[in-house]
Amino acid sequence: MTVNRTSKVRTCAIALAAGALVLTACSEGGGSGSDRSTEPTMEAHGITLGSAADSTGPAKEVPGAKKGGTVRVLQRDAYEYLDPGQIYVTDELIMQTVYNRTLTNYQVDDKTGKTKLVGDLATDIGRSSDGGRTWTYTLKDGLKFEDGTPITSRDVRHSIERLYAKYQTNGPLYLQQWLSGEGQTFRKALPDGPYGGDHLPASVLDTPDDKTIVFHFDQPRAEVPFAVAMPNIGAVPPGKDKKEGYNKAPVASGPYKVADFKPGKGITFVRNEHWDPKTDPIRHQYVDRFEVSFGHQWMDSTRRLLADQGADKRAMTWNNAVDPAQISTVLKDKEAMARSLTRTQPYVDVVSINTSRVKNKKVREALAWAFPNGQYLQQYGGPKAGEIAGSLVGPTLKGHNRDFDPFQKRKYPGGNIKKAKELLKEAGKEGYRIVYAYGNDKPAQDASVVVVRALEAAGFTVEKKELDRGTYYTQIGKVNNTYDLYRSSWSADWPSGSTVVPPVYSGKNVHDSSPNYSHLNSPTINKEIERIERIEDLDKAAPEWVKLAERVLTEEIPQVPVFYNRLFTLWGSGIGGVKFHEPYGAVDPTAVFVR
Amino acid sequence: MVAGELVGRSPRQLMWRRFRRDRAGVVAALVVLFFFAVALLAPVISWLYGKDAYTTYGLDRPELLDPVSGYPMKPNGGIDGEFWFGIEPKLGRDVLMQLVYGIRTSLLIGLAATVLSTITGIVIGVAAGYLGGRTDYFLGRLIDLLLSFPQQLFFVAFMPVVTALFVSPEKETPTYLRVTALVLVLWLLGWMQLARLLRGQVLSLREREFIEAARVTGASPWRIIRRELLPNLGTPILVQSTLMLPMFVTAEAGLSFLGVGVVEPTPDWGRMFAKGAEFYEGDITYMFFPGVAMVVFVVAFNLLGDSVRDAMDPKTTR
Amino acid sequence: MLRFLIRRSLGAVVILVLISAITFFLFFALPADPARLACGKNCDPASLALINENLGLDKPIPVQYGEFMVGIVAGRDFPVGHCDAPCFGYSFVNQEPVWPTIVDRFPTTLSLALGAAVVFLAVGVGLGMIAAWRRGTWIDKLFSSLSLLGQSLQVYFVGVLCLAWFVSGLSIMEQPAYHPITENPARWFSGMLLPWLVLSLIFMANYSRMTRSQLVEQLHEDHVRTARAKGLSGRTVFFRYAWRGAIAPIVTIFGMDLGSLLGGAMITEYTFTLHGVGRLAVDSVRLTDLPMLMGVMLISSAAIVVFTIVVDALYAVIDPRVRLA
Repeated sequence: MTVNRTSKVRTCAIALAAGALVLTACSEGGGSGSDRSTEPTMEAHGITLGSAADSTGPAKEVPGAKKGGTVRVLQRDAYEYLDPGQIYVTDELIMQTVYNRTLTNYQVDDKTGKTKLVGDLATDIGRSSDGGRTWTYTLKDGLKFEDGTPITSRDVRHSIERLYAKYQTNGPLYLQQWLSGEGQTFRKALPDGPYGGDHLPASVLDTPDDKTIVFHFDQPRAEVPFAVAMPNIGAVPPGKDKKEGYNKAPVASGPYKVADFKPGKGITFVRNEHWDPKTDPIRHQYVDRFEVSFGHQWMDSTRRLLADQGADKRAMTWNNAVDPAQISTVLKDKEAMARSLTRTQPYVDVVSINTSRVKNKKVREALAWAFPNGQYLQQYGGPKAGEIAGSLVGPTLKGHNRDFDPFQKRKYPGGNIKKAKELLKEAGKEGYRIVYAYGNDKPAQDASVVVVRALEAAGFTVEKKELDRGTYYTQIGKVNNTYDLYRSSWSADWPSGSTVVPPVYSGKNVHDSSPNYSHLNSPTINKEIERIERIEDLDKAAPEWVKLAERVLTEEIPQVPVFYNRLFTLWGSGIGGVKFHEPYGAVDPTAVFVR
Repeated sequence: MVAGELVGRSPRQLMWRRFRRDRAGVVAALVVLFFFAVALLAPVISWLYGKDAYTTYGLDRPELLDPVSGYPMKPNGGIDGEFWFGIEPKLGRDVLMQLVYGIRTSLLIGLAATVLSTITGIVIGVAAGYLGGRTDYFLGRLIDLLLSFPQQLFFVAFMPVVTALFVSPEKETPTYLRVTALVLVLWLLGWMQLARLLRGQVLSLREREFIEAARVTGASPWRIIRRELLPNLGTPILVQSTLMLPMFVTAEAGLSFLGVGVVEPTPDWGRMFAKGAEFYEGDITYMFFPGVAMVVFVVAFNLLGDSVRDAMDPKTTR
Repeated sequence: MLRFLIRRSLGAVVILVLISAITFFLFFALPADPARLACGKNCDPASLALINENLGLDKPIPVQYGEFMVGIVAGRDFPVGHCDAPCFGYSFVNQEPVWPTIVDRFPTTLSLALGAAVVFLAVGVGLGMIAAWRRGTWIDKLFSSLSLLGQSLQVYFVGVLCLAWFVSGLSIMEQPAYHPITENPARWFSGMLLPWLVLSLIFMANYSRMTRSQLVEQLHEDHVRTARAKGLSGRTVFFRYAWRGAIAPIVTIFGMDLGSLLGGAMITEYTFTLHGVGRLAVDSVRLTDLPMLMGVMLISSAAIVVFTIVVDALYAVIDPRVRLA
């Protein structure tokens, strides 16, 4: 073994390495190259109120729809809750529509995509009396649970009373609070819920017969029809309710029932034979099974749906978006684009300014001018993932004003640095120290790069603070947190400003883990909120809420609107009947069929 | 040099001559030197090239990036006369500068971890081998314990713990602390192989006559270790640490690839792979430069390690 | 032999207990707030406290550790439900005991590790044997260079390149995914093929190098020379005598590699979006799912420790010169 021999081998190795380099060099470069893509334009439809006639089943047949087949559903996040009382996040909201029926619900038109609120378990969206203080619902005939037992008013009452029990921590609180008191005080009206045999008094919640449910409120409540569309106001058979145990075995009232739930892995829904299509104006029962599997990152679901091979032909996702890195690949693929949709979701991404730390309004204004909305949105996926926002309330909200853009975010996608600089100078706060907090996921890290650059260019001194993704909302939710600027996102629970402005901007909600992340507590705004909450006519209240949100932005600047979310998603070529569920911002599974 | 040597050439000179004759070894050494030079001279390169690693050129000049997909408008990752290695999708930074500064970060971390691990390995290996008895037993078990830790998993799981130990939750984790944490984590599980190897060597050396002789003449243990043992351990130490460095650099890159290493905006070699994996469908070119640089770097180090071994110990058959 | 196994097993248990203790105490230095993960969009302080109490996070850490260790042997009861032995804790994120999740992910990791191991062992040793057999020729040199190159490759580079070329570009391979072998062996194979090949490309280098150098060394050993002197054919000498002596060190490395692969090949699983144990660990770090991470850490350490013992035992069987000390 001489040095010379090994030396030759090594030279050979180096040559090989060089060869490998040439090989990689041959790979084709990226970039869309030719045409610049253009931004899609889209309109949100808003929601209309349906009549009793609209509320009668069956749902209109979808042309070309066939019965049978299995649809695979690729989801990123595992479902935590099947108990309708605990459901609040988008993934689960859209999932429960296949097995859970509520007093009212959203009916999405197959052709126009327009949404109507109609009676689901109830014959209509509710009848009010006593100046909006009393609401009466009548159940339809022929409603049955998956075991064949009829659904009565007692099951509906139970579904509401169980929400008072301590373990029910995650669902929406609207109806409970309206019936029994603000904050957590409503729980005192029925400690431990109905499990000890206690019930709410008839003066609050009355079930005079098997078919009738009556709500009594202490002040006019115009939005009850929407509140009873939330998943927790449905029907739960008292005999089958094992408290926490119900979470893994909910009793279905819709066209499908849970066949197999493996937490963290997936869930299978099969036909519920006792569901009667004649009672249901919204849902179909075309496919035999939905097989939902979790853990599909956006990249994975996009690749599968784009490749459209084998079982993936009959796959879809209910709210996984096309991965930002693959948007250009999908856009170039005409065949795939034909089985895609891009629609506006009800979420608005904002950055909250911690008003208990940044008290100077001029400084807040400078922040609002400097924030680089367009560059920030680019990191989250660009125009296919959202639209630059000018207002704090989104386009899906009734009365939304598209032209409102006081900080000219559309004109200056990188922020109006010059204006911000001037304002900061006027305030005499050049070099103002801002602590910018963000979660440690990829887009947020990339976005932090552009935020810091823009703010520093405007004359701020920026300190970045990376927070753990899992505890991000707890940390920014602390009233005494030590950050000045942090992103959050809020969605209207139904398309009314009443589910945005009071929770996010009312001074009553300055406490830990409250959505009022900017700690805004302005007497004028608080007063306005109380005034508009009393307006009985929804059509009159809607523009008032939007105007108030605009006033909040221009007068107080507690948050900078960044972008209105959009969903760009694909489904397999073997599937039809896909439509967009605007109130939940996800794909509506109720009319899906296998071709 | 040890006094009383009669031959004209010292072992070191002999070694150097042997090494110089090994062409591949010399090339590998030059490549390694080149990487160190790039890391060291990053600011100079930046100044000559006229770009830096932080400016988002693509966002500041909208004509460079496609507004919808965020990929470079020009083919091949936006390579042109201005951006030699192209521009990064979405953020639009200069790839060459990212790579140069990324190499700087990763090499710094790798080098620090190598130095620490080598010193620790020497101290513990020699101590265990020379002192023997209970110390040897105890250190041996410690090494066993640490070798039983799943290494990669340990790196991933303990990075956040180590950072949390040093940073109060109210403060930004400064980059130097993150880097320190990385070095610590790599070091903690990086020294055992060398220590184990040296322990074996010392055990066999301890029984040899020249150590015996030194002991008889009354030399202190410290002197024996320093003057008699260490010079004889030069080969394994040098070879092992040459192999350790690329191991640490790739491990660090792996951590950043998994998203637990160095974070934005500090450029990092490994994070470029994470981005490359994200963008490969639309812009495979982005992955090309960091990847090729990494392969060349590791090949060069492995070749250099072999050459050093051959030069120092020509008896080894390969 | 039996004494050896018992002694080593006891040692392994001690090491595992130490690892669990170190891991447990270090993890609870993390400023995580698992209760928040069990809460939802409208989480208020009252609900947080409720969940905290429900999950026993308010007890002192040594007590929590004690309960944890008892749970592994005997199972334990959480207010949210019973957790059967072996109970490695309760994941707040998945709302489920840790053990079933790991059991669920393990087939993926097992398929990846075993499949790759078969390929890299066969190909690596094969190449090494050819190189040793034809040592000094251009084949030898080519293989040596290839293994040097292979050793210098990284999964996060080659893996992604292969995905780009063979899956997205040429579409000649399937997007890597795990399909249970019991359901459809053909899909199982095609889904794992690319990860196996990429892992093998990197791992086999070591084996071919080692096999070659061991064989070359063995060919110079006395017993092999004697065999040759007795007039046995070159082939017989090579395969009967030289080969046997070369096996032991290869088994050692193989055991270590297999142990660490079974503990979760994080980067590989991450690159190919396979949902094995390694991926579970990375995801758990991101979600601060500490109980899950603890579980994975312990299982992975156990895999390494067990395979070290197996290797030592095998070593003794193969090479009688080794005393089981």
